Amino acid sequence: MVTSGFERRTRAGATYATLALFAVYCLFPFLWMVDTALKPPGEVRSLNPTFWIVNPTLENFRHVLTDGNFLAYFRNSVIVAGGATALSLMIAIFCGYALSRFPREPITRTVGGALLMSQMIPGVLLLAPIYILMRELGLLSTYRALIIVYCTFAIPLCSFMLKGFFDGVPGELEDAAEMDGCSRFGFIYRILLPLAAPGILATALFCFVTAWNEFLFGYVLINDEARRTLTPGIMVFKGPHLTDWGALMAAAVLAVVPVAVFFVYLQRFLMEGLTTGAVKG
Amino acid sequence: MKALVDTPVATRLEAAARRDRGARRAALGKAAAVCVAPAAVFLLVLIAYPLSRVFWSAFHYVNLTNPTVSGFARLDNFTTVFEDEHFWPSLWRTCEWTVVSVVGEYALGLASAVALAQPIRARSVFRAIVIIPWVIPIVVAGLNWTWMLTPDYGVLNIWMVKLGLMAKPYYWLGNLNSALLTVSFVNIWRSFPFYTISLLAALLSVPREILESAAMDAAGPIRRFVYITMPELKIVSLTLIFIHVIWTAINFDFIWVMTQGGPYNASETLPIMIYRYAMEDFDVGAASALAMMTMGFMLAVFFIYWYGARSSSRESATW
Amino acid sequence: MKRLTIGLAAAALAVCGFGAPALADPVTLHFWVAWSPQQADAVGAKKEIAAYEQAHPDVKIDVQNITYDALHDKLLTALAGGDAPDLSWGLPEWLGELSRMGALRDMTEEAKTWPDRSAIYPNVIDALTIDGHLLAMPHYLGIRALLVHEDMLKAAGVASPPKTWDELIADSQAIKQKTGKFGFGIAGTGVRSPQELIMYLAQNGVSLAERQPDGKYRNTWLDDKAKLANATDVFAFYKNLLDKGVINPDGASWGWEEEDTNFGLGQYAMVIDGAWMESRETQNPEAMKDVTISAPPYKEKPATFFEINPFYVYKAGKHPKETWDFVAFMNGKEFQEAVHPNNSPRSDVTTDSKWGRGFTVLAPTGVVFPPVPLGAVTRDMIETLGQTLLKNEEPEAVARWLAASINKDLKQAGELSGN
Repeated sequence: MVTSGFERRTRAGATYATLALFAVYCLFPFLWMVDTALKPPGEVRSLNPTFWIVNPTLENFRHVLTDGNFLAYFRNSVIVAGGATALSLMIAIFCGYALSRFPREPITRTVGGALLMSQMIPGVLLLAPIYILMRELGLLSTYRALIIVYCTFAIPLCSFMLKGFFDGVPGELEDAAEMDGCSRFGFIYRILLPLAAPGILATALFCFVTAWNEFLFGYVLINDEARRTLTPGIMVFKGPHLTDWGALMAAAVLAVVPVAVFFVYLQRFLMEGLTTGAVKG
Repeated sequence: MKALVDTPVATRLEAAARRDRGARRAALGKAAAVCVAPAAVFLLVLIAYPLSRVFWSAFHYVNLTNPTVSGFARLDNFTTVFEDEHFWPSLWRTCEWTVVSVVGEYALGLASAVALAQPIRARSVFRAIVIIPWVIPIVVAGLNWTWMLTPDYGVLNIWMVKLGLMAKPYYWLGNLNSALLTVSFVNIWRSFPFYTISLLAALLSVPREILESAAMDAAGPIRRFVYITMPELKIVSLTLIFIHVIWTAINFDFIWVMTQGGPYNASETLPIMIYRYAMEDFDVGAASALAMMTMGFMLAVFFIYWYGARSSSRESATW
Repeated sequence: MKRLTIGLAAAALAVCGFGAPALADPVTLHFWVAWSPQQADAVGAKKEIAAYEQAHPDVKIDVQNITYDALHDKLLTALAGGDAPDLSWGLPEWLGELSRMGALRDMTEEAKTWPDRSAIYPNVIDALTIDGHLLAMPHYLGIRALLVHEDMLKAAGVASPPKTWDELIADSQAIKQKTGKFGFGIAGTGVRSPQELIMYLAQNGVSLAERQPDGKYRNTWLDDKAKLANATDVFAFYKNLLDKGVINPDGASWGWEEEDTNFGLGQYAMVIDGAWMESRETQNPEAMKDVTISAPPYKEKPATFFEINPFYVYKAGKHPKETWDFVAFMNGKEFQEAVHPNNSPRSDVTTDSKWGRGFTVLAPTGVVFPPVPLGAVTRDMIETLGQTLLKNEEPEAVARWLAASINKDLKQAGELSGN
């Protein structure tokens, strides 16, 4: 880039300053969670809270990991969030393909509009009807119930995200594939998906995090301790007369860290995926 | 995250269709139907069915604790809502909460995206850090912030006093004037990374040559940003803002976890009211009526957006 | 499952060695609780329940721990969906609404022949009875008392805890002057604040709603000048607490968490609170060691909030007999001694510690909420505190507003007398 040295230096300085501020803003609450998780009860509630811990302890982590069913909750969350992600992607890939390739078909327009409308309903109101529906389907307290519900919430945005990525794949490729005798599904499977892979990964991550963090439906639809997911599992430490901050934070840290690490690891692909999707807007 | 705009693909398909109109159209319609069918099934079962119940309840007397009243209610449930002294203030606060949140999220998202797009060292570390708020569950984030913001034993107040930023601790969530803004602030904290990711992706795809030739023409960094970068971000920005206006307006968790609409209703928004009608007054009819109205407001916003987007860009909306 | 059951039954027969009547299918009781897993009561209860299962091999107790914040929503959803648990924890404030929904099992018959009935405080059973039907079983007593940081009282030269509202205000001002800390604390919002408000109302001789000859309820403040004046006094008292520097102004927006934590940290001298504050001794031993318990100060007559925390037993449960046996077991002496030594609904279970007898002696002065759907009523009560403390409205106007609102809420729920 052709820019003056002065401008470059000011720019770098301003960039680092901005990023440092953002880093503090984003990290502070998380670090405070980690810090609290490492404190003994007497230091958690204090009139003079500090980052420095006089008697650091792993007791909260031990308690969370050994006394309850935390590991089971973790496994359940992995199953539910993973299942919801896989199912939503499968459905959203086709839906996104239709939105991208047949935008003028009446059926596409109708479903597209419905997808958008579905985002406008307050979740509280869906609670009772969905509960009743799940009971009638005999799915209460099953992984399937949560997978289906999270899937429903994720499909609209996933479809629109994927539409964006598919738009970036040139139509000539499809014509060429068709001439080579490749069927439409063959094209999706063999050409479109590999080309849009980074975008699909980004969509998948979005979907996974949303399902991983959901609270209310996870609570209400699961009546079986063995199927309980993480967020409700964390919240039991908020007791009727006392919040066990140490344990609550320890559990939250254990829930957040794997996802955060996952994100850091996939961050490069994520950025690449979103970039291809955003081209030409 | 891409805008809902037309593509060259469609034009090409149209050209093809002209050659063999009848059969081609039928085939396309069939293919489209097959592709959207699974999504449509999910919507029908899990959204349309509950939604039809909401619609039905909005026009009937449905009270969980008072079975003595039942039957068709005409517009009584809507009257209940309109006569509620909380309705207009809540509607206003919903707008305030939505606008403050979305504007804040967009501003922070844009600033962080621009910073992260610079060619600096440790870029990927910063990119990873910025994502962290977004992976923390809302309930946990809400509790944690509530605790950090308490005046007597919360770390933020105590530190700000020590640093001399404030004379004495301030009850951010407990004062009428600051409660809603404070919850908005926390909402911004948790939601802006989504903007960062999307805007950053769009920024990175701004063709470098354009910026370079502009720099040759001695355009300053601010001019370059305003006249070249921003237009490139327009579509992504509009989409982001639009979807977040919807999500924020119907957001319930953050406010409920942090203030439950208090103090003295200072942070009560329409979703909180819906919750109260349904879960505290057991008046499902009124809750449904209010939900229908909320959806109506949102559809209005959508049409404004749609026509706005249509008239401002020559491309027509996709559906 | 079936094969397993048959297998078990066959095995049992084989073990027994003779043709005993085949074992009934094992019964699973679904029990929703909201305990903090690490607290003593939860640890004790888990042990007792395990022992119960051992003693009753044909009964399995499926315990679901749910955070209190979500328990109400989950219960309502499950009830609306026709899929309630067999029994659950809950707040006493929910008795009216659950009863109106027709969700609760009438246990009057079982209770008639219940040997332990005489051991339960009579007013506890009364409070769980609506129209002669026993609709819930006692769980624990959350009687409220005045908790005092005695060292702060001493530092201010106050000899004994305040007995009246006026003394409370005067003593608190002395404390503020001498120690710089506030004398008293309240919860201005959240589930705790209506519980405090109903107590102050009772201490001045007024109640939220009275049962009328037609069996329904009505707030009568607007029909009776004396009552309106008494109710007005209560809001004036709240206003005084704020204006005279008795409470931290932030208290107007405190929930129970802020109220309890600040007391546990020794941030103010006195609070009306429950025996669960004992758990703060382990969290903040230094600040909590000087705490003494006495009766809440009053104006016209001594009164305190008597939280009779119930076990709700649901009509939809499929095993009424086993559920009754289990809930009766949880009200038995053994269970109560192990789990609620300090705050048991049984008069024969108490400890001489301040966290035990210090609270139970106040039981006769206890008041409870009327058994009507309270969701809207308690919300209006919270609003009156906002009007008084945050909006600085006139006490009489606030009292009038609350009277009218309660009757409106009663009407909405179909519980208003004369309608």
